[in-house]
Amino acid sequence: MMFLVNPSKFNKVADYVFLPALISSIILFSIGLIFAFYLSPDDYQQGSTVRIMYVHVPSAWIALLTYAIMTLYSIAGLAFRIPFGFIINTAVAPIGAVFTLICIISGSLWGKPMWGTWWVWDARLTSVAILFIIYLIIVFMNLSFENRVVREKVIAIFVLVGSINLPIVKFSVDWWNTLHQPATISKLSKPSIDPSMMIPLIIMTFAFVMVGLAIAILRIKTEIISRKSYLS
Amino acid sequence: MIILNKIISFYYREYKLNLSGFQDILTNIIFFFVSIFIFIFSIGPDKETISSIGIGIVWTLLLLSSTLSLRKFYQDDFENGNLLIMHLNGFSFGFIAILKTFSHFIFVQLPFLLSIPIACILLNIANDELIYLFSSFAIGSFILSCLGSISSSMNLMNQRNFLLGSVIVMIFSVPIIIFSVGIVNFEENFKSLISILFGILLIVFAINPWASGLCLKLSLENN
Repeated sequence: MMFLVNPSKFNKVADYVFLPALISSIILFSIGLIFAFYLSPDDYQQGSTVRIMYVHVPSAWIALLTYAIMTLYSIAGLAFRIPFGFIINTAVAPIGAVFTLICIISGSLWGKPMWGTWWVWDARLTSVAILFIIYLIIVFMNLSFENRVVREKVIAIFVLVGSINLPIVKFSVDWWNTLHQPATISKLSKPSIDPSMMIPLIIMTFAFVMVGLAIAILRIKTEIISRKSYLS
Repeated sequence: MIILNKIISFYYREYKLNLSGFQDILTNIIFFFVSIFIFIFSIGPDKETISSIGIGIVWTLLLLSSTLSLRKFYQDDFENGNLLIMHLNGFSFGFIAILKTFSHFIFVQLPFLLSIPIACILLNIANDELIYLFSSFAIGSFILSCLGSISSSMNLMNQRNFLLGSVIVMIFSVPIIIFSVGIVNFEENFKSLISILFGILLIVFAINPWASGLCLKLSLENN
């Protein structure tokens, strides 16, 4: 498991993983989109708009997952002095920002026909918007510091402080009485979703994970190369 | 005993500095009042509209005008080397952050607290709501000081884009705004809401010395 903390070992593993991830993401996307558009049934209340869920839910999960990964690597970078954690922070933040933006846009496209409005000031929506702005601040911090050491450590501290938002996003639907529905799949009891919708959702989730992984590998490798040229 | 003397001399120095730069604090307060005027001109002088959104306006403008003075939080002491001298005198960086936070609360936020009654007269806020506003602002302004300490210590080495510091404070102050404006609207929930605000204060006060101390140390090491 050393490839998770060691850049040169990560490079070796990434060379093996990158092409399969890209190809499997293409295959999974084509299967998942066919399932999502043609093979899965309409909802009895929402009609055809339920198909937006197959993009909305995986992107939201990945947005949260990306921030959780960044938090773990910030702890690793600050506490155990593993510089690879800072590389991950720099490389992965724009990916999380893009997935959060996809989640927000697809959600508001769904909200217009269902709730009758593009946006409501509901706890879940607000906390996800804050998550998006936190991602943007991390990206801007990457651009605006001149000293590299200060930049990466300050970003790691900011990621740790901002991780307060993560449980708020997750539990906002339980703590407050919101318009956004509570979790149907990622809860402790049996998921209250029909298998005919569960299967395309899982396929689309894996497709999103694979696409995110492929982009992340590209960005992390670029970051490692730029560090090497900076140091030498 | 020696450390107590040092703390007292620290605050004496802060007092001298803030007294000589008193016009800066006064300018902040003038900014606050001018923005109240502009708010009222933009929504029209209808008494009921103004008094229904008055608390929100006061809180928003207090937040905005307290982020204006963030640049001065550590920057002057950082550039003329006083932070290093304080550290050499036996204050750890976290302790410097706590002292600085209290000094920011006393010298920058308390004048706002004193100017709230005048703002309440201008915005037609009822007198019995004033006590709620006061108690929420007394806690909330200390949270704002802690957040300001974190964000300004993060941006010490950031020469290009200092507005990022204000954005950081504003994004983390969202829960404070929600709960402190909620205090006035739900008078029966006053106790529970003020307990939530106090809880946020304790969390932020615990994070503050760690985060700002680490950022101060980093900036001084790499300057």
